[in-house]
Amino acid sequence: MIRLIVQRLLALVPLLFIVSVLTFSFTSLLPSDPVDLIVGDTATQEQYEIVRERLGMNQPIVVRYVQWLGRAVQGDLGTSFFNSVSVTGAVMQRLPVTLSLTAVSALIAIVVGVAAGMAAALRPRSWIDRFATLGATFGQAIPNFWFGLILVAVFAVNLRWFPATGFTALSASPWDWLRSVILPSIALGTSSSAAIARQVRSAMVGVLQQDYIRAARAQGLSARRVLIKHALTNAMVPVVAVLSFQITVLLGGALVVEQVFAINGLGTLAIGAVRQQDIPMIQGIVLVMVALVVVVQLATDIVYGLLNPKARPS
Amino acid sequence: MTPSRPSPSSTGTRFARQWLTGSSLIVTMAVMILVLLVLLALFADVVAPYDPLKQNLMAALQWPSSRHWLGTDDLGRDVLSRLIHGCRIAVIAAAEGTAIAVLLGVPLGLFIGYRGGWWDWIVMRMVEAIVSIPGIMVAIVIIALLGPGLHKAMIALGILYSTSFLRLARGVVLAEREEVYVRSARVIGASDSRILLRHIVPNIAPPLIVQITLTVGAVLLSEAGLSFIGLGVQPPDASWGTMLNSAAAFMDLNWFLAIPPGIAIILTVLAVNLIGDVIRDGIGRGIAAEPRADVAAARSAAVEPTAATEAAALPRVENEVLRVENLQVVVGTGVGVPIITDLSFGIARGETLGLVGESGSGKTMTGLAILRLMGGGLRTTHGSITLDGRDLRSLSDRQMEQVRGNAVSMVFQDPTTSLNPAFTVGNQIAEVLRAKQGLSRAQAWSRTVELLDRVGIPRPEERARAYPHELSGGMAQRVAIARALSCNPSLLIADEPTTALDVTVQQEILDLFRDLQDEFGMAILFVTHDLAVAADICDRIAVMYAGEMVETAKVDALFSSPRHPYTRGLLAAMPHASDRNPPLPTIRGNVPRPGAWPAGCRFSNRCDFRTARCEQRIPLTGRDRLVRCVRADELALEAAQ
Repeated sequence: MIRLIVQRLLALVPLLFIVSVLTFSFTSLLPSDPVDLIVGDTATQEQYEIVRERLGMNQPIVVRYVQWLGRAVQGDLGTSFFNSVSVTGAVMQRLPVTLSLTAVSALIAIVVGVAAGMAAALRPRSWIDRFATLGATFGQAIPNFWFGLILVAVFAVNLRWFPATGFTALSASPWDWLRSVILPSIALGTSSSAAIARQVRSAMVGVLQQDYIRAARAQGLSARRVLIKHALTNAMVPVVAVLSFQITVLLGGALVVEQVFAINGLGTLAIGAVRQQDIPMIQGIVLVMVALVVVVQLATDIVYGLLNPKARPS
Repeated sequence: MTPSRPSPSSTGTRFARQWLTGSSLIVTMAVMILVLLVLLALFADVVAPYDPLKQNLMAALQWPSSRHWLGTDDLGRDVLSRLIHGCRIAVIAAAEGTAIAVLLGVPLGLFIGYRGGWWDWIVMRMVEAIVSIPGIMVAIVIIALLGPGLHKAMIALGILYSTSFLRLARGVVLAEREEVYVRSARVIGASDSRILLRHIVPNIAPPLIVQITLTVGAVLLSEAGLSFIGLGVQPPDASWGTMLNSAAAFMDLNWFLAIPPGIAIILTVLAVNLIGDVIRDGIGRGIAAEPRADVAAARSAAVEPTAATEAAALPRVENEVLRVENLQVVVGTGVGVPIITDLSFGIARGETLGLVGESGSGKTMTGLAILRLMGGGLRTTHGSITLDGRDLRSLSDRQMEQVRGNAVSMVFQDPTTSLNPAFTVGNQIAEVLRAKQGLSRAQAWSRTVELLDRVGIPRPEERARAYPHELSGGMAQRVAIARALSCNPSLLIADEPTTALDVTVQQEILDLFRDLQDEFGMAILFVTHDLAVAADICDRIAVMYAGEMVETAKVDALFSSPRHPYTRGLLAAMPHASDRNPPLPTIRGNVPRPGAWPAGCRFSNRCDFRTARCEQRIPLTGRDRLVRCVRADELALEAAQ
């Protein structure tokens, strides 16, 4: 198991490196001159040069990249071009918000998706199966931000069960935190739960036809035990494989759903940075998101190895 | 926005298609929705009742009325007109985004797939990097570079989704370039570009079409999302995403504003996805017509067999462990299609009964019927199964669970698939001991090691910790046997337990069965199609054909003087080491499928001895040996002469 983890970790280093090169060179292609944006039209050439040197823009791109990377690995992602705040600080301040949405929606997607997929697989062609399949088909066609609007209209504006906007930190009040993330997380998790339900259903139907299921029943093991231990463990193997992809999707989706609920997460930060062409901020956000994705991938790889002994390096 | 990159692995959609399109009504509706969408896009100016941009602040945020069917928005613009003009943007967005993705991804994928080497390596690493960033973030960064707007946003989405087309094209090339015909084309001197065009492009078409439908849906959702957050279509232009953006600000005043654009997006994406499912399924299955179960059921209802009482013919055996009488198994609803009819036999303690016959004769099903593990749609309708004096058919499912493992157990054909790949073999045996006999973890484990040792597995303590895939077929079958015998059942059903094994291992496993029977004394129902194996291990043999028993006798008697023409055919088709030269005789034809059995003797259409008397149902006759043939006596005479 430790070998598997080390192997995966090593494989992730080049990925992070390539992503950093890509984002750095790509954002450096931005059409506007950041120095111009900062100093404004009325600045003198002298002022321009001072700012240009302060930003390090007078150096070649390779040098700038190496400097940026050197600071990035130490946790310093640079300074915003606009309000001189530290990018690391700004991102870290918003990160818990986006992470809350991603984590809660992933939990909802997994619980609902696995339950619905299992229920459908156990009784193929029953009304439960049809209902779940219909739900999954719709779930994948509903835009998450629209679903968010509807949830706000019904549960926040009309029924007043939940706040319509805003976010409460988990550390401030766990109860208010839950109330503030539950609607956005449902909006966000629905399409993923639909995708997971489909995957669970097809994996489960396939596993239930396997010889080892019938063989386990032939030894007199209870239907429940065979289902939970023998079938689900195997059915989760392909599901875990799509899970890391789904969590990446949720992380991206959170950026949009935040807008519906006026939550100040990474999405608001990213959209603002794009509008202002705030290069260090964009670079920092992308890098942090990729780091998150990488952690998720690592975690799912480990779970995959636990579930599937054939995937472990021997 | 749902930046769900089209996932290539949504196999569950097959069922969606089966149900949702079972009546093709829904497909028709999906097509009609898309046709309507395109028509509205083309003729938006004519159809829309108002100018979508014309403001009237005096009539802002109105609810639906006869003047404004879908009401007005915050600037007093007619929602219906904006919705119709939004169709145009949706169509442009879907076409543009998908086209860019295809035109960018496919040629690049073909190129790197064909060239390989550094090109391939660099591009693929970049693709991996892009794919590891959430899709919307990629789009946002590209829009940062290009600026917002419909066409620029579509370029961003095109680049984003081109990665899936790139990987698809590359994958097809990698698969095809190794195909013999491509290699031979290269050998005869065809140029690279000709090979690509003539051989690879046609093979790429089917998966490409599937990917396009997936992408169209994803682009539609993404465009709406980007416009919603203000990075796609810019106000005042009417797109469904921008409409939702302005609706979001006024949810507390007029929530209805969010409904029309939302429904429009959902219906469009739903229609595209459904049509994609149908196409994917059609391509996936080669549009092959599957045999339909209800047709088979209708055809066979006519051949309902008589539940004749033949139990009298079944001789009582001493120390009988299992007694099956007049068993009938059917598949399907209603009367059902019979799979097994009038099956009766008994097995005594320490005895091995062989159940032989070709594939499809119902022998495996007999074993599963005893365990009540036949699976979907199959059920027993007549007869009794008596094990250790208890009628199994009268037991509840829970009671049956008690019987399985404790009183009867089963060994399956392929040991590598009958053991669960996710758990160690020791875990799987210990599990049975703990669940069925209530042993503690430690007791179960030491008993497991004992059992593994008993079935001849060397270093049992170490092997108990192995996973099934780490064992050879023969070792895995020993594990399966150890598990089946762990609770000392009085009956062991062995379904072709040596068929999947190496010939050299077969004999060892047969010897193991014999040894274990001497020690534990269980009765064995040995299902096999291999008469040589049956002759080796069985005391008696029952020959099955088309769901019924046609002959049963002691093994020596059966082999020396078979009385049913089918048994004779089987014996004649057995290869002997001594006479290798003459071609093996075969029984012409195949076992008829359930529901297509001849009305009288079921073997009659393949029999060389058939007469007019074979047209009616034939009973099993005889005393110490039974045969189901009207000419059995004269044929036996013939053989004796």
